[in-house]
Amino acid sequence: MTKTLGIYSVMLVASMALIGMPGCSKKSVQSGGDSQSTQGMAKKGSSGNGGGSGSSGTTDSSRSGVGSFPDTGVQSAGGGLRGLDKNPSEERVGNGTMLAKMDPSGSDGRQLDEIRAEQAASSAAGLRDVLFGYDSWTISEEGRQALTRDAEWMKSNPGAQVKVEGHCDERGTADYNLVLGEKRAKAVRNYLVELGIGANRLSVVSYGKERPFCQEHAESCYQQNRRGHLALKTGK
Amino acid sequence: MTQVKLISAWLGGVLLIAGLAGILESWAADVFLEATRPDFQKISLGVAGIQNGGGPDWLGGRIEEVLKKDVKRSLVFDLVDLPGLGIKTSDIGNGVGAGSKAVFKQAAEKGVSVLVWGKAGLKEANKEADVNMEGFVYDSGSDEVVGGKRYAGSPSVVRLMAHRFADELVFRYTGEPGIARTKIAYVSEQGAARELFVMDYDGHDARQLTADGFLNLMPRWSPDRRFLVFTAYRNRNTQDIDMIELATGKRWTVISLGGLNITPALSPDGNFLAFASSHEGNSELYRLDTRTKAIQRLTVNPSGDLSPSWSPNGRELVFVSDRGGGPQLFLMGSDGSNVRRLTFEGDYNAAPVWSPRGNWIAYVCRVRKEYKLCIISPDGQKRMQLTTGPGVDDSPSWSPDGRHLVFSSTADGKSHIYMINADGKDIERLTFEGTHNSAPSWSPAS
Repeated sequence: MTKTLGIYSVMLVASMALIGMPGCSKKSVQSGGDSQSTQGMAKKGSSGNGGGSGSSGTTDSSRSGVGSFPDTGVQSAGGGLRGLDKNPSEERVGNGTMLAKMDPSGSDGRQLDEIRAEQAASSAAGLRDVLFGYDSWTISEEGRQALTRDAEWMKSNPGAQVKVEGHCDERGTADYNLVLGEKRAKAVRNYLVELGIGANRLSVVSYGKERPFCQEHAESCYQQNRRGHLALKTGK
Repeated sequence: MTQVKLISAWLGGVLLIAGLAGILESWAADVFLEATRPDFQKISLGVAGIQNGGGPDWLGGRIEEVLKKDVKRSLVFDLVDLPGLGIKTSDIGNGVGAGSKAVFKQAAEKGVSVLVWGKAGLKEANKEADVNMEGFVYDSGSDEVVGGKRYAGSPSVVRLMAHRFADELVFRYTGEPGIARTKIAYVSEQGAARELFVMDYDGHDARQLTADGFLNLMPRWSPDRRFLVFTAYRNRNTQDIDMIELATGKRWTVISLGGLNITPALSPDGNFLAFASSHEGNSELYRLDTRTKAIQRLTVNPSGDLSPSWSPNGRELVFVSDRGGGPQLFLMGSDGSNVRRLTFEGDYNAAPVWSPRGNWIAYVCRVRKEYKLCIISPDGQKRMQLTTGPGVDDSPSWSPDGRHLVFSSTADGKSHIYMINADGKDIERLTFEGTHNSAPSWSPAS
């Protein structure tokens, strides 16, 4: 009897904890907002600086790779709703409160031009890619053979720098596929290093499922997208 | 005493068999419906039309259509079909006089709790068109017109007027701000690039935010809705975490440690930014104190840790780790303490997001080789699969009222954005343009 009571009380406490959560969160958000409002002015100034330095395209690495940070806590609750009124006064509804007009000046296609140049250079050099199994970042026998030839080419072209891109098929989450793509790229890099290529000649990047080689929803296509792609760096 | 022991042994056996037989899903479904039922019955509400107050004929109809959809999506109201109940809505007039009294009486008799009507007009003033909208509310409980709203603005904000009025209705009957004025940030393919966009919560009025011609991924809102944090490949050799101010379009880098810096998430009070970074080798979780700029490493593990999402009280994080092989959900204190595994079912669980009410965590689960949406309670006791069928579902994000999720899916071929109720009902497709829309993130309520 006491045992059953004990179980019930545990369940009761647990469910109360769950019910209590939203209330707790509201309080913590509000108190955060209150405490920040006192220092809001000073912070806003620094956020402007950060934006300025960022928009010039450079990275603020003065503090070990951390840029400036504005206040983002909720300043006031209520959502601008004023409630119904028996004699409502006119409320002006504006449009531009939150979205700026986009500045397209940064979009010059430079990145894509670079990629095209890399692709041309890679295929001219005859560099081969590595394909991976589902969920896997293990290099197959076929992949080892391809990388052995890639390593030979790199040895006879000692000035060449290679970027290893990790790619995934569309199955799986965008987030996890970035990590999986990095594992694939690093597996390729590590094998090339094992074959005697200097690590300083190799860099890795993961594109997850964001830059697929093939767009169909079929295994034949997925196979092509689970890839370690060797891109020959052009320029510096 | 022996009886108690017997019962518990019997219960344990039943649970064990249930788990082994794999019928947990159907069991969880029953529990789920009970656990998420709103604390109130839906309030029956009828929209008796937005009359023409001078101007084009489409105006009132447009507002009425937007308003009705908002009311329906709120899940606070049950939208009733007034003409279907035999109520002649045109008699409501301006809400005073015998005609409207008759409509009120009829509605009350048919069990309609709330009646809404209004008037909208457009006029040219000072060479600029101006839209005026009035909306009024009759409550059958108190048998009176409880109040109304008057809005004015340019023709481009007609939908926003309807959204605003819908949120006032939700606010009146729940004290919550409503979600009709919320926004959804997402990633859209533009040629070979992926750029950030923001649209209204109903998929309308999409606007492009970035245009640097390469990859911009996984946007997340700041608690005050003024900023997005996201992963940017501006320099193709590193993936940094950038921030953009929506009102100005100003953009800068906040995390640039080298390696892959992904899945940023601001704490509910804005004081911490949790993110994953591989700058020390493999992907680990870190948190940046946004005031002191101190970075604290939260996980120490040879496998991949990523995708942190904050509990609404900011004390805990749910995240993904493949320390057991495939990706699974784990929980820990926001300082990295007390790590424990949350998901045990299936070999692939990822992209967790903690609901704003705290009681559920939505995520992507792999079920019979398909990637679908699931939800699990933070104690791991309740679990349910929300979506079924073909297509890869990804990147769930909660509405601020906790009643909906937005996600991307390839169910219709190309990847598009969809909305679904938190109980798995009423899937609504939000995007129709473009070649690939993904990674939606629902804004906080204003």
